[in-house]
Amino acid sequence: MKRGMVIDLEKCIGCRSCAVACKSHNAQPAGTWWNRVLTPGSEYHAVPPEAGMEYFLPIHCQHCENAPCEKVCPVGATYSTEDGEVLVDYERCIGCRYCMAACPYGVRQFNWQDPKKSMDQYQYSADYYPGNPRDFRLKGRLVYTLKRPKGIVEKCNFCVQYRAQGLDPACVRACPGKARFVGDLDDPKSEVSRMIRRRNGFNLLPDKGTKPTVYYLPPSRKEL
Amino acid sequence: MSKAEKITLTVTGLMMLAGLAAYGYQFKEGLIVTNMANPYSWGLYVSGLAFFVGNAAGGLVLSSLIYLFGVKSLKPFAKLGALAAFANVTAAMLSILPDIGQPLRALNVLFHPQLLSPLVWDVAVLNLYAVLSLIYLYILMLPELKGPLAKIAIKVDNPEEFSEKWAKRLAPFSLIAAVGIHVITAWIFATQGAREWWNTAILAPDFVAVAMASGTALVFIVSIFVYGAKEEYQPAYRIMALIMAIATFVHIFFMYNDFFIHIWYGNQESLDTLAVTLKEYAGVHAFEVLAPLVAVILLLSKKVRQSAFAVVACCSLLVLGVFAHRYLLMPAAFERVPLTLHPLGIQHGEWSAAIASGRYSPHGDTFVTKWDYFPSGIEFTVFLGVVAFVCFLLIVAIRTLPIVKEAK
Repeated sequence: MKRGMVIDLEKCIGCRSCAVACKSHNAQPAGTWWNRVLTPGSEYHAVPPEAGMEYFLPIHCQHCENAPCEKVCPVGATYSTEDGEVLVDYERCIGCRYCMAACPYGVRQFNWQDPKKSMDQYQYSADYYPGNPRDFRLKGRLVYTLKRPKGIVEKCNFCVQYRAQGLDPACVRACPGKARFVGDLDDPKSEVSRMIRRRNGFNLLPDKGTKPTVYYLPPSRKEL
Repeated sequence: MSKAEKITLTVTGLMMLAGLAAYGYQFKEGLIVTNMANPYSWGLYVSGLAFFVGNAAGGLVLSSLIYLFGVKSLKPFAKLGALAAFANVTAAMLSILPDIGQPLRALNVLFHPQLLSPLVWDVAVLNLYAVLSLIYLYILMLPELKGPLAKIAIKVDNPEEFSEKWAKRLAPFSLIAAVGIHVITAWIFATQGAREWWNTAILAPDFVAVAMASGTALVFIVSIFVYGAKEEYQPAYRIMALIMAIATFVHIFFMYNDFFIHIWYGNQESLDTLAVTLKEYAGVHAFEVLAPLVAVILLLSKKVRQSAFAVVACCSLLVLGVFAHRYLLMPAAFERVPLTLHPLGIQHGEWSAAIASGRYSPHGDTFVTKWDYFPSGIEFTVFLGVVAFVCFLLIVAIRTLPIVKEAK
């Protein structure tokens, strides 16, 4: 089993619901965004580029098979599960940020200060504590917690805490355009494998040799 | 101890305390007190690692020349070399420590080492080199460990012979360890395919070249302070100046060779990367090239080498140039986000995918494609504290240990 994701750019409406759901469910500190949606070719989101057509590109951890972030981590805090999810152990990370230098996708983010302080800075209301309150451990390793220590790196964890309950990641469930699909990339008959084959699925930065497990389906047109 | 030394010790002592206080503040507040951000995740501290590792090369250059290649005139400087090596490799580790977000977990590198990581290799080789240079220094001092220091001397029949024999035996190992610290430190960067600026096979050889120049320059400065520019030492100084000159020329050749290949092929990503160093940081780049070049060319003249002031000025200029070189490791790697795309349907378009800066700014964007970095006051204070540590350690060690050959 190789768990992967397919994002249909034809269906993405650029609403950033995935980013919001992801941020809330995973209790991301203010200023931290595991998920982002951009408008390629344009300086602003949801503004068509001067040339070419408007489409939207959601980007988060690509859960690479040959993950440079995992290879550089001096303490094995970033590691891959058997199914190919690349996770961060919040109790192991020493905060050297080597993984951030190693990742070509810019999806890794550091807790530059205590998340409580950044919430104050952004003027979140004092009683606003988004996120699943329960810690989640995968074989003993802390891969989700509401309270992030300062000085560690975090990123998309493919919502492993929900997978344990048989649920899809928050971004998949929250997508109003139903643009996201999760499935087994090793199984040629799975829906995701079929979509990649039929619709010319592609990866970001394939020349970097990172072998992402996130595939994109090219858009053919976009209504404005 | 002279008055100048006392003043230097006081000043460097205060600088170390200031550095420590700044680090304490950073420890409490987090790395938010630096000017780094998610897109620009390494700054002055990591440049400092590369800088001090390079300066630590002096010990090896001298010991290998003396004991492997038989250059006898350098012998009075062997202990200074070993001491400078120890001081700088320790400084390299002190410089990287404040970069760690969770310093209390730093020992995870020992408890849970992930052996594919170049950072693990670097920690291992830097510690090994620190221990080796201490052992080397001890062996070289052994015949002169007398008086109160006799307590720490191991008992051997003939200390002189023992010292000479073991210095010779250790020389090849210290040479390997010394080349190792530069190569492995370079591999931390050069292995990273995500960063066009670092991802080149020339980086490791270039680190060795730069280290030969700055490591020797540092020993040269210390030698002048200790022995002066006396005639009897001029043959040794000539050799040091030659090593620095050759190493600098090789370094500049390596660097421009790499630039040339990328510019000729003209890949847009390479050109954009080079433009950061060559255009945006044009002044710093000019300095990193011209300062060492002018310094080593001047030092090739015997007259310059006979003036203590001129030698110290030239060597300091070279070391500053090398510092600028190390500083420039970061901008071209981090200023622009590495994820650039050719958006579908747009001709000749390069577009950078913005990433969350992770830092609150009342007016700035949440997502950025470019981050301008200049070290914060805290970063400078910590870094200068480490520089002060090197000076402090050198002076104290030279005054308390039998490192300087007594004048006859």
